[in-house]
Amino acid sequence: MSLELKDIRDFLAAHHPFDLLPDADLDQIPARLTARYFRKGSVILQPDITCLHLHIVRTGAVETQSPDGHLLARLSEGECFGVRAMFRGGKAANRITAIEDTLVYQLPESDFHELARKHPQFAYFFELMGGARLRGGMQMAEDRDEDQLKLMSLQVSDLIARDVVSLPQSATLREVGQHMSKERVSCLLLTDDSGKIAGIITDRDLRNRVVALGMDYATPAADIMTRDPISITPDAYAFDALLTMTRHNIRHLPVVAAGGDTPVGVITTTNLLMRQSLSAVYMAGQISKMDTADDMAGVIAQIPELLRQLIDAGATSQNAGHIVTTLADTVTSRLLELAEKKFGPPPVPYVWLAGGSQGRQEQTAISDQDNCLILDDSYDAGRHGDYFRDLANFVCDGLNTAGYVYCPGEMMAKTDKWRQPAATWHQYFTNWIQTPEPKALMLCSVWFDLRPIYGKASLYEQLHRQVVPMASGNRIFLAFMVGNAQSHQVPLGFFRNFVMIRGGEHDRTLDMKHSGVVPIVDIARIHALGNGIAAVNTSSRLQAAIHTSSISAQGARDLMDAYEFISITRLKHQVAQIRSGDRPDNFLRPESLSAFERSHLKDAFNVIKTLQTALESSFGKSGT
Amino acid sequence: MGLHEKILDSQVYRRWNRKRATGPLAQFYDIAPVAPERRISDIEFVALDLETTGLNPKRDEIISVGWVLIRNRGVDFSSAQHFLVRPTKDVTESSAVIHGILDSHLADAPDIETVLRQLLPVLAGRVLLAHHAPIELGFLGRACKKLYGASLQLPTVDTLVLALRDIHRQGIPFKSGALKLQNLRKLHNLPPYRAHNALTDAIATAELFLAQINKRDAKGELELDRVLR
Repeated sequence: MSLELKDIRDFLAAHHPFDLLPDADLDQIPARLTARYFRKGSVILQPDITCLHLHIVRTGAVETQSPDGHLLARLSEGECFGVRAMFRGGKAANRITAIEDTLVYQLPESDFHELARKHPQFAYFFELMGGARLRGGMQMAEDRDEDQLKLMSLQVSDLIARDVVSLPQSATLREVGQHMSKERVSCLLLTDDSGKIAGIITDRDLRNRVVALGMDYATPAADIMTRDPISITPDAYAFDALLTMTRHNIRHLPVVAAGGDTPVGVITTTNLLMRQSLSAVYMAGQISKMDTADDMAGVIAQIPELLRQLIDAGATSQNAGHIVTTLADTVTSRLLELAEKKFGPPPVPYVWLAGGSQGRQEQTAISDQDNCLILDDSYDAGRHGDYFRDLANFVCDGLNTAGYVYCPGEMMAKTDKWRQPAATWHQYFTNWIQTPEPKALMLCSVWFDLRPIYGKASLYEQLHRQVVPMASGNRIFLAFMVGNAQSHQVPLGFFRNFVMIRGGEHDRTLDMKHSGVVPIVDIARIHALGNGIAAVNTSSRLQAAIHTSSISAQGARDLMDAYEFISITRLKHQVAQIRSGDRPDNFLRPESLSAFERSHLKDAFNVIKTLQTALESSFGKSGT
Repeated sequence: MGLHEKILDSQVYRRWNRKRATGPLAQFYDIAPVAPERRISDIEFVALDLETTGLNPKRDEIISVGWVLIRNRGVDFSSAQHFLVRPTKDVTESSAVIHGILDSHLADAPDIETVLRQLLPVLAGRVLLAHHAPIELGFLGRACKKLYGASLQLPTVDTLVLALRDIHRQGIPFKSGALKLQNLRKLHNLPPYRAHNALTDAIATAELFLAQINKRDAKGELELDRVLR
């Protein structure tokens, strides 16, 4: 390398995956590059442009759109594109447009392939970008990442490989066997007269319940089938399906149309699952078999690493939050199972609920616990008090041991106040809504984001049905919520500059949680409460709010975008800390972002500011 | 363009130089210059930068040369070249401070004739590109005259002149320093380069030129005489 190309070499060395290359190879790259410049708005690649180069964004930013016009990605400094085109004979798959004045480096295809062949870690990076044929037959441990990505983005409907194979439940076992053999399936669904699912028979059932017991093949299938099997709807995530299967230890999961019991297919566990040794599915499976919180702590300690894999694999913050929260749910459920084993079955029905970020399914690498217990109104403190106190202590202590530390505000089921019968909870909510005061408003941010985790969910649903109209109909309460939400200021100054934390441990940083995530969560909650929306997940709340009059559809979409951008920036920050062996936190140094990201972040904060203010015109405002 | 430049760029002056040129400069003049009506996207540019001991070609000397080619509206880094040049006199302290090039660096460097033997074939049939080109033309012309009996004449594009035209067209007053390479690059969202040497500045000039022509015409149908100095 000519020493004078050092600036270009240093740029590459600072960006993934070029940072993975040994110096000797990195030194060779600058002299292989061509620099090209694209004005804002000009098309760089599109399906009729031949592209035989890897493109690296040097400055500026580009946008990738699918042929039907959907925005797929925005890329900025140090990011690559044009990978898929190189594997399609130079035919670009998508349209790539400069959204700022952009300088691009192009690396010829032949150099790219040589680097990929020599350095699997380099090749692997591009596989996720569509270069699936890069590695040929080479199998690497990182396969897991890609599988995970599939599980996250796929829905159950994508996994159904063929039409449903079913027979009426009156069919004989002989007919069942013949049909399964002819259709080459390992299970078969049985339907009732109205075509709804009645049961399931698997290969294993035929072996264990029919052949081994010498049963008459003329017996109706209804006699041996598993009745009312656990099922899933087509719109659930593939991830949820695999989780359901591991939790219940089943290999076949019927898929039924949402809202009815009409079967539409079956999904089965494949070797895919077996390969997920570090994956969330496997982790959840492990947790559900464990008997002590100490053991669970070993699995929970791997969450940072899991998060790193998820983010590296391109997960959205919504995906990542969902998956990480699922592990907290699994730990909670397992601890409750163990508690019921230890203290006996519950004397009256109860439901365990998660609040805060677990309730909203938005956990990250660092989460404490927020939870409560709603007991059936037949609860008698004198007779049942000890049981539920022991149960709550067992679970909260277990969560603490597993890694979900005690809530500093004691909003936990082990606190007597938060372990009460439904009628008492009803009274709590009534008080908070009718006499809003600062303490109550703080509680609302936890207790209005509840989600049942374990037990009799209807206890909560009944209460929720009463609380939602109470909140949406009370203008004064909403106005106080608005005042409270506006007290979280976004870190933007008058001149659109960042207002950073000054002094102390986090000098010159932005608190991405309290000045980014929390304000959006607050806005979404108010729109949900004001419109009687039952969802607790922030994105779901905003999605539902699109159709209301309290926020414009564009405003809701902008806020969803801002939320995803701030959340993913926060997660990437945490992943960078995890990678360098530091403890993940929420304090981001703006200079660690590219100019493009910084400007995006300012836009996001601006959206929050605007919509915080707009709350007033929809709901009024009251100070406390 | 002033009368002086018109004469310097004229066919007559070229013929006059060609007749007198010897050695590698004669070979350079044997190759026809790029016609001004050709499209920019079809021709090749040599973005070039010199570092010198001062600003006066009659008194000062070249101490480094860097260049890179532009082809198909892309800066081709594989063509990048950088040479230190051994001057006949000692480097003064003030210019050493600017360039970071001291006598000790230059002791083993080739002389200007060795470098011109490499450079002249590269310039033949191409267009010269520089930021404030009178310096490059002045020093290279002076060296050619001394060594090969005639000056150097070729179609030249000056990114500083293009920037000035942009500013005039927009009719805005400009601040001092606005025409500096770094500041112009910033205006076009081009990255700052930390190193300052002849090659880095040649690359910086080449990229600035890409930005300037993209602004004039994104499709690449622009003709050369629209950007000539």
